Amino acid sequence: MNSSPSYTDKASDAAMSRRSFLRGCAAFGGVSALAASLAPLRELGDYTNTEQFLQKYYKELTPSDMTKVIARIEGEVERQYGIRPHVRDLKPMDGVEFVYALNLTRCIGCRKCVHACVKENNQSGSPEIQYIRVLKMPHGSMDVEKGNHNYDDKQVPEKGFFYMPIQCQQCKNPPCVKVCPVNATWQEKDGITVIDYDWCIGCRYCEAACPYWARRFNFTKPDIPKERLNPDMAYLGNRPRKQGVMEKCHFCIQRTRVGKYPACLEVCPVGARKFGNILDPESEISYILREKRVFIQLKEEMGTSPRFFYYFDK
Amino acid sequence: MEKSGSSDGRKSGALTNYWLSGLTVGFLGLAIFFVISSNKKSVSQPNIALVDKKFLETTPWRQTYADLVKAKEDLSDYDCYGCHDKAKPPLIRFDSNQKLIIPKEHANIQMAHGAHERNNLCYNCHNEQNLLTLQVRDERNIKFDNIPQLCGSCHGPTYRDWDAGAHGRTSGYWDRSLGNSTRLSCANCHNPHAPHIPTREPAPGPHSLHQDTTHHERAEALH
Repeated sequence: MNSSPSYTDKASDAAMSRRSFLRGCAAFGGVSALAASLAPLRELGDYTNTEQFLQKYYKELTPSDMTKVIARIEGEVERQYGIRPHVRDLKPMDGVEFVYALNLTRCIGCRKCVHACVKENNQSGSPEIQYIRVLKMPHGSMDVEKGNHNYDDKQVPEKGFFYMPIQCQQCKNPPCVKVCPVNATWQEKDGITVIDYDWCIGCRYCEAACPYWARRFNFTKPDIPKERLNPDMAYLGNRPRKQGVMEKCHFCIQRTRVGKYPACLEVCPVGARKFGNILDPESEISYILREKRVFIQLKEEMGTSPRFFYYFDK
Repeated sequence: MEKSGSSDGRKSGALTNYWLSGLTVGFLGLAIFFVISSNKKSVSQPNIALVDKKFLETTPWRQTYADLVKAKEDLSDYDCYGCHDKAKPPLIRFDSNQKLIIPKEHANIQMAHGAHERNNLCYNCHNEQNLLTLQVRDERNIKFDNIPQLCGSCHGPTYRDWDAGAHGRTSGYWDRSLGNSTRLSCANCHNPHAPHIPTREPAPGPHSLHQDTTHHERAEALH
């Protein structure tokens, strides 16, 4: 009678010690698994710090706050790319509203604009991010469903086709701005819809809302070749983005807000791209909208009212 | 009763041990997996070559006479009276099909001005009395560095658009109060003897992570 409880006691003692050992192992394994699963956060240290985390909303930043933010960005870029950039916070100019016009009769589909844009705006090389898509479309139709942007012809233009580059249309009534849950994207008074890359949470609602597929998401940390980095940067423009934020064409803010033409226009070998201030009746863009056969605003029926116009010569 | 109870306890204890050791092995395995995988790149990134610098060039395709003068380059091609005789305007010859015969001294000239092939008379633009100038249809003489005036005498609407900035290339500053802009001349893009813009090689298209073959097939079908 006595022996059986003592036996069970012994057994239970042994079981307890083994159990506690196993518990210890399990706890250790669990903790190390947790630590290891958090390990990727260490990489965030490269471009996230408390200063950025505590940064205020763009529209609430005072000029002295902005100076600090710009110093932080310049430091980050220099650490990552070894080049000291010149970052500016450029505000819209008074009495200016930008409009773009593209001459479909002239475009030859050479895709030079696509790559000039990548270089100017520090877009990721791999995975590839491009703001402009050039659609090759059969004559006699404006149906973008018939367009192909993967054409790999040896020579362009091909007979029987026309080429239609599509990028952000800088809508007057932008659906992407309406869906943003944190107001990280908004329309400025010169008509450019901008993104604050430090405020974006990467939910990609705007990408889904855009009828032109103009917005791009950084699925990975952007890979910008050092020798192609453009050091002339703007806060709302071409400063390097980080993983997990949206980006898109911003009419080259760093160029156009200091009076220059955008990079895609400068490189166009046939002069199909036209840009300017619609509020100035003397500008070439005013002339085009007044005198030429301005055929479409793309997907007019969506009610987005783009500031990007397509026109024809003949 | 007691006996069976204790054997139950022993049984459940063994079961817990199995569970716990199983879980330990599982957790340790996960820990090892996480440690190894956290050191690797999370996404395999395709190796995309940098685009050729020639696609980033903004320089015009052609140089005009005005550009050559500005760059102080060799102008011997424009020295007509180095070979021609001033007193004797050169004769234009045609073959039996009324096609212009281009003399072998000017073999580099491709005559393709106008799709109808009837605009084949050199003196439509060149001045036979003075080869160093060009002539407009109203017999005004024009110098080689003032081509838009000459082209505009036939291509009126295009000249009007060019003058307004709607045709051709303009670069520099859209805001003329902040900087200068340059407007290219006709011959910076068009060869006056064969003005149609020739076809050229396009820059590479987009690379996608998941090559979308349906688009390619559709493109093939369209060809």
